[in-house]
Amino acid sequence: MNSPILEARNLVKSYDDGRVQALRGVDTAIQAGEYVAITGPSGSGKSTLLHMLGGLDSPSEGKVLFRGSPLGNGADLDRFRSQQVGFIFQAFHLLPTLRAVENVQVAMLAVRQSGNHRAQRAAALLEEMGLKERMNHYPNELSAGERQRVAIARALANDPAILLADEPTGNLDSVNSAHIMEILRGIQQQRGMTLVIVTHELEIASRAPRHIRIRDGRIEA
Amino acid sequence: MAAQLSFTGFAWKNLWRRRLRTLLTLGGITMGIGAFVALVGFSRAFEHEWLRLYTNAGTDIAVVETNFLNTSLNQSLGTKIRAVSEVERAEPMIFNLIDLTPDVNALVYGWEASSYELDSLTYLSGRRFADGKPEIIVGNLLADDLKKKAGDTLSIQGVVFTVTGVFHGGTALEDGAVIMPLDQMQAISSMEGKVTAFHVKLRPPPSGESYDNYVKRAERAIEAAVPGVHADPAADRAANNGLVSLAHSVAWGTSAIALLIGILGIANTMAMSVFERTREIGVLRALGWKGSHVILLILTEATALGLVGGLFGIAAGWGGLRLLAALPQTASVASASVSPVHLVESLLIAIASGVFAGAYPAWRGAHLSPVEALRYE
Repeated sequence: MNSPILEARNLVKSYDDGRVQALRGVDTAIQAGEYVAITGPSGSGKSTLLHMLGGLDSPSEGKVLFRGSPLGNGADLDRFRSQQVGFIFQAFHLLPTLRAVENVQVAMLAVRQSGNHRAQRAAALLEEMGLKERMNHYPNELSAGERQRVAIARALANDPAILLADEPTGNLDSVNSAHIMEILRGIQQQRGMTLVIVTHELEIASRAPRHIRIRDGRIEA
Repeated sequence: MAAQLSFTGFAWKNLWRRRLRTLLTLGGITMGIGAFVALVGFSRAFEHEWLRLYTNAGTDIAVVETNFLNTSLNQSLGTKIRAVSEVERAEPMIFNLIDLTPDVNALVYGWEASSYELDSLTYLSGRRFADGKPEIIVGNLLADDLKKKAGDTLSIQGVVFTVTGVFHGGTALEDGAVIMPLDQMQAISSMEGKVTAFHVKLRPPPSGESYDNYVKRAERAIEAAVPGVHADPAADRAANNGLVSLAHSVAWGTSAIALLIGILGIANTMAMSVFERTREIGVLRALGWKGSHVILLILTEATALGLVGGLFGIAAGWGGLRLLAALPQTASVASASVSPVHLVESLLIAIASGVFAGAYPAWRGAHLSPVEALRYE
């Protein structure tokens, strides 16, 4: 059997000299191409787990393995994030001074690609997201749903193996939420990508084939 | 057509999002570089004029005591200097900066009427002065400024002098100056029997010996013949005389303060920018930007501020130099020209200022924790 694309082994994350523990020994494995929802109450540690899996933060104890190899530190984590992971956030986190198409390209500035290639790929991704006519608009000229679609295009810019979404519908109405989930599910199926979504919405979690529940920094059975 | 985003384009957009702050920061570095270009350019032009003053007259060596401004040598030492075999002529001289009118001060030289230094002057009107008489000749720039012509009189330090001629000397230091008999200068300066320096013209060097070697040998011979004096090549005296040293010190000191203010402006702008963009830097890190990318972005922004401010500063400084060259108070010692080396130097200082000012904000931005930066409100 192939090794999981992501694996957490006894992950512990503590703050304030150990007085606060966000994760208390999490073990889980995610297979390549899998669609997983992580749920739990506020403060349960689900976003912290997502950050660890995406190499955005380092555990206090334990380790994260990508295709069987432990994630390193510093430059290794930067490379992992730029090449293997696409992040999607609840607050979109688009850069306000850049047009939609430039926001997508900004992710590609971290890797060596020609300016022409960056622009073409960004345009193609936005077209795929149904934003062909909106690519030269600034974030404040876009609706919330459109902003999240730009953020998804940005997450796909470097053709990652894994998409990590932290409450991707948290700032959206029900219509846009459904649309975004449809897009993410389509991407996961068509590209065979691994999709991990953190959500507190049970309806969204219920559509994922696999569901990880976290409470007080531990995975519930 | 999708717009392309380059790294420098991204840096530019970041700077331009706070236009007023960016423009004010540019104003600060512009003033710093402008002051450097104008003041240091002015002091260097001043030095250059001194060198031309020596070379035009054919002076090889200046013999002084210790400090050119305060130097005081016995005039009788001229006999010993002239006895040195390499020396062809040794002319005693005095110079000082004197108020001629409440608005105009000028360099005033005292030379003997027979001095070779006067041979290089071209008389536009009148004639050379005579020793022992209250007579002066006036450079054409100063004559225009004072509206004096041959036959007029001019009161200096309470003594009324007759203008016997108006001359053109080829350097601003001469054209803006008054020259009078040495004895008259000694009298109004209370320096009877004293001089500030001897200008020495050497005999032609022996065949086979380089000019530089010959001058060094002559310097040693003069210093051996007259203990307690310094015999310096004309170029060294031009660079190191008291007035030039003072001009250099004031120019560098003032420029350094102005530059420091400019650098602090950039540093403040970049520190504020990093602070305001904390979450954006977190986003960039989440997208895979390395710490070194963040450093490069912030340094690019800071360097751009330095570079653009430097270009504006050069333009402003050049304008300042033109102004100094046009003002009656400074026209005699200033030149509106700026050497290419000085321009390159100014631009490099501007760029280095940007890099220096951006270094800490860049380091701070690169070391932000991505997760904490993303949570930043």
